[in-house]
Amino acid sequence: MSDNPSNMGLTQGNRLERIWLLAKIEFKLRYYENKLGLLWALIKPLVQMVIYYVAFAIILQVSVPNYAVYLFIGLIVWGVFTESTSGMIVVLKTKKYLYEYSNMSKLDIYLSSQLSIIIGFMFNLVVFVIALYMSGLSLGVNVLWFPVVFLNLCLFSIGTSMILSTIFLIVKDIKQIWSLLLMLLFWVSPLLYHYERIAESLPVLNYINPLAGIIINFRNTLMYNLPPDLTLLALNFVQGTVVVLIGMVMVKKIGARASEIL
Amino acid sequence: MSLTKEIAVSLKNVSKTFRFSDKTFHTLQQRLFNLHKKNKKQHLKAVKNVNLDIYKGECIGIIGRNGSGKSTLTKIMSGSYIPDKGGEVVKNGTSLLLNLGVGFSHELTARENIYVNGSTLGLRIKEIDKIFNDIIEFADLQDFVDTKIKYYSSGMIQRLSFSTAIYANADIIFLDEVFAVGDEKFRDKATKVLEENWINGRTAILVSHSIGLIEKYCNRTILMHQGELLHFGDTKEAIEKYRSLT
Repeated sequence: MSDNPSNMGLTQGNRLERIWLLAKIEFKLRYYENKLGLLWALIKPLVQMVIYYVAFAIILQVSVPNYAVYLFIGLIVWGVFTESTSGMIVVLKTKKYLYEYSNMSKLDIYLSSQLSIIIGFMFNLVVFVIALYMSGLSLGVNVLWFPVVFLNLCLFSIGTSMILSTIFLIVKDIKQIWSLLLMLLFWVSPLLYHYERIAESLPVLNYINPLAGIIINFRNTLMYNLPPDLTLLALNFVQGTVVVLIGMVMVKKIGARASEIL
Repeated sequence: MSLTKEIAVSLKNVSKTFRFSDKTFHTLQQRLFNLHKKNKKQHLKAVKNVNLDIYKGECIGIIGRNGSGKSTLTKIMSGSYIPDKGGEVVKNGTSLLLNLGVGFSHELTARENIYVNGSTLGLRIKEIDKIFNDIIEFADLQDFVDTKIKYYSSGMIQRLSFSTAIYANADIIFLDEVFAVGDEKFRDKATKVLEENWINGRTAILVSHSIGLIEKYCNRTILMHQGELLHFGDTKEAIEKYRSLT
């Protein structure tokens, strides 16, 4: 019990185990409930890619070299952000059974959900690397930057999710509002066209929109074998950390009442 | 005598008010169209100004009519609800609120639920591996281990929930009407667990309508009436007062 000194280490281990367990189960629930299973994780970005490729490369004749790969990496990064935020917006409701009657920290719930999305992302990343080599490109030494860029994506996703899910406790239609905001974000992020287009017409956007920097740096490190744009990398890290901190405060302040409100 | 005892749970000036209204503007659209109107609020004081100390190792009973504030009080003590401003809750040690059928996801199978629930109750995966078969056997659910519990009957879910919880690692346990479980056969089995030293060494708070159970196991008892703490002390006295309530 609590007077046992080895108990602290034990609970920490218990916590990590629990986060991993919940992530695995959520991942399984998301993909193995249907016939195609894990394939769905790949089908979505692939179909999106084909649609945008036809529309932009063939019809509108956007001239970005290796446009298919360019699209794919952007879309899977975008996928992590949308899946996290729109999935976790209701997480305090769907996972109420976890925190309502036990001492489990709400933070663990967010971490496990984020982790399960990361597992799906890893499969997509493998497909991306295959596609990369098929189009004659290859990974280089700058892939070492990947963990940092990836960390920025995770920070921003989980932080935004924490903020949104606590707003959901007070204003229920944040769900609908968020789907509109996501649409806006989609078009101001350099997903479909080259980021220099944005840089030319609305240069400020790449700095206020953390996703822009994250996508640009994902492409630099994984596709072009370039070092990341360090200004954007640092800025995104600060933005991500701030969002996470705000999220944590909100979860602590507003989320404490979650079990009575929901 | 009580000076030498360690406090497990302590409440000071604890009240709980629920605010609700028939017209709540939860969505933005409703808010926008009703800017001039305020949410009409109704207040319900579920728990009124409760002060109490519970010491380590005690078994405390909580009795009272329906709606007297028993469950709200337990939820405040366990930390699931936060009290109104000015109230203070001190809790030493980990706690677990057992309220049957909750803490489970209906989308998961019994196996997954046992692992998730066991883990939130503080057990390591290896420990759960060891007790897994015992849990299933105790709940008598051998044939439905990999069935999603949404297909279970309510009795089955309660049995599973009870069986998992008796292995939990918690210093303080709150038992909210947990002995009204399943059929008579299972209830006997469940009460027997009480007698075997499950509660020994822990602090237990028992919420129940079954006076016999409270009389048998609790040293001290809390009597709640309309949100107020009418009596906290000798169990027999509490039961007498409870019976004389009209």
